[in-house]
Amino acid sequence: MEQEMFNQRTDLTQLSAAVDHIRQTLGKIIVGQKDVIDLLIAGLLADGHLLLEGVPGVAKTLSAKLVAKCISASFSRIQFTPDLMPSDVLGTAVFSPKTAEFQFRHGPIFGNIILVDEINRAPAKTQSALFEAMEERQITVDGNTYKLEEPFMVLATQNPVDQEGTYRLPEAQLDRFLFKIEVKYPSLEDEIQILVNQHQQKSDDQLLNIVPVLSVEQVKAVRSTIKALFVEPKLLAYAAQITHETRNNKSLYLGASPRASLAMINGAKAIAAMAGRDFVTPDDIIKVAIPVLAHRIMLSPEKEMEGLTPADIITQIIKKIEIPR
Amino acid sequence: MRLLLALFLFLSAASVHAQTGQKTIVYKKPIAVKIYSTKVELRKIDREAIKTYSKQKDFIYEDAAPETLTWWDKFWNKFWKLIDKLLGNKISGSVLKVVLIAVAIAAVVFIAIKLIGLDFRLLSGKSKSLEVPFEESLENIHEIDFDDQISNALQTQNYRLAVRLLYLKTLKNLSDKQLINWLPDKTNQAYVLEIADEGRRDEFSKLTNQFEYIWYGEFFIDKTTFENVNQSFHDFNLKKA
Repeated sequence: MEQEMFNQRTDLTQLSAAVDHIRQTLGKIIVGQKDVIDLLIAGLLADGHLLLEGVPGVAKTLSAKLVAKCISASFSRIQFTPDLMPSDVLGTAVFSPKTAEFQFRHGPIFGNIILVDEINRAPAKTQSALFEAMEERQITVDGNTYKLEEPFMVLATQNPVDQEGTYRLPEAQLDRFLFKIEVKYPSLEDEIQILVNQHQQKSDDQLLNIVPVLSVEQVKAVRSTIKALFVEPKLLAYAAQITHETRNNKSLYLGASPRASLAMINGAKAIAAMAGRDFVTPDDIIKVAIPVLAHRIMLSPEKEMEGLTPADIITQIIKKIEIPR
Repeated sequence: MRLLLALFLFLSAASVHAQTGQKTIVYKKPIAVKIYSTKVELRKIDREAIKTYSKQKDFIYEDAAPETLTWWDKFWNKFWKLIDKLLGNKISGSVLKVVLIAVAIAAVVFIAIKLIGLDFRLLSGKSKSLEVPFEESLENIHEIDFDDQISNALQTQNYRLAVRLLYLKTLKNLSDKQLINWLPDKTNQAYVLEIADEGRRDEFSKLTNQFEYIWYGEFFIDKTTFENVNQSFHDFNLKKA
């Protein structure tokens, strides 16, 4: 009805079709987890890096691989281990006897979709290797800068339970992830459906039948469309106020950076586009607020002792601020 | 072999004895003692001078109580006398001691908890349901004269603002009919989901979308479109609870 009443300003046909296709593709293999799938798609559309967190066996890696499979782009997988070195990720200069010169051998970071599995198993030194790549889309080795090809997206997974052999991600790196998506246990019904699907499945490899939905060029086009979506000035102020409140909240030891406000608006634009709108509403901002902020803030020790989570504090902050209307 | 060992031990013991038997004579230089020959003069305390000093005001150290007590001093004197009396009593004294100790412990615990910054509700297991006070709402829908403001907006042909006021008026009506619980932090979609009646919810959802397209999306709205939107809002608001 609204489409009839108001002439469409932005053509979202291709985007809507792609989103539906990705949802269907992921939905065939990932049972339930609707919010996780939506945030994965939103992250892809918003040109952000995603951190999937969940206990072992909840299909974090599978979800990341499925998203990568939906795009016909180069895909790399890096299994982070305690002995991984930065050169194993970025690449290294190798001496060539033929030319008697050092030649740079590209590491697995040179790809479009990079799956970093178990990211918190590598020490800070190796994790730091991703800083420049994730933010500036380039790497610098031996004084030479190498641009990374667009689209460039890091999909990382981590297990929040393991303590042994893991390293907490540096704050600077956490801030570079657009969303931290918490993958939770499925419901009983969903778990039964997982078993039924597995039982009826003929092929061993579910990923073989996945057909890419978007080309590299289409991803670029969709991303530029989303960047141009309309945001009412009061909603920009609303997002900024949410972030600002994290810096003044007594329950928090560390608030979110301005990058969080930018991420919130970009994420909200992607959610709006997925809903077929070319403008953002407060609901879109609220929907992405926790995935954007939860990994960027640190609770005060007292609140941690009380058993509160970053999501609880963000919810309190949102409830404190009046919806612009 | 054994014989040789025994002989060796015997001879060793004999030599040790021989050494200890010798005496060493040490000659020391005699110390010369000097006798202090200065004459010592014995001095006596002047009794008269002591008597004179003891009569002087500066050397009288008596703690004389102030002649007039203030009401505050009188209060504390009475208070401490009462405490002494109570503590002096075997029964009330012991009870009071226990009470005072309990109060002191409670005060220490309270100060410690406040200093650490722990939440008292932690003890009752309700810490997660922290209440956050709302910041003062800039606009209370129950205090707006909607008809007046809508007519003002229409006079200036500000149809976008008029639609916003229509939507706020609808929220007020729904709140008055107790179909929604109006709160500043709730989003439009939250209100949509709050309406129990499915038919009414669908209608309100359509109105909400219209409002969002016009207000958040800043879609252009002319007089004709506004009249259509206005009619939809009017029909919805006429419905009984």
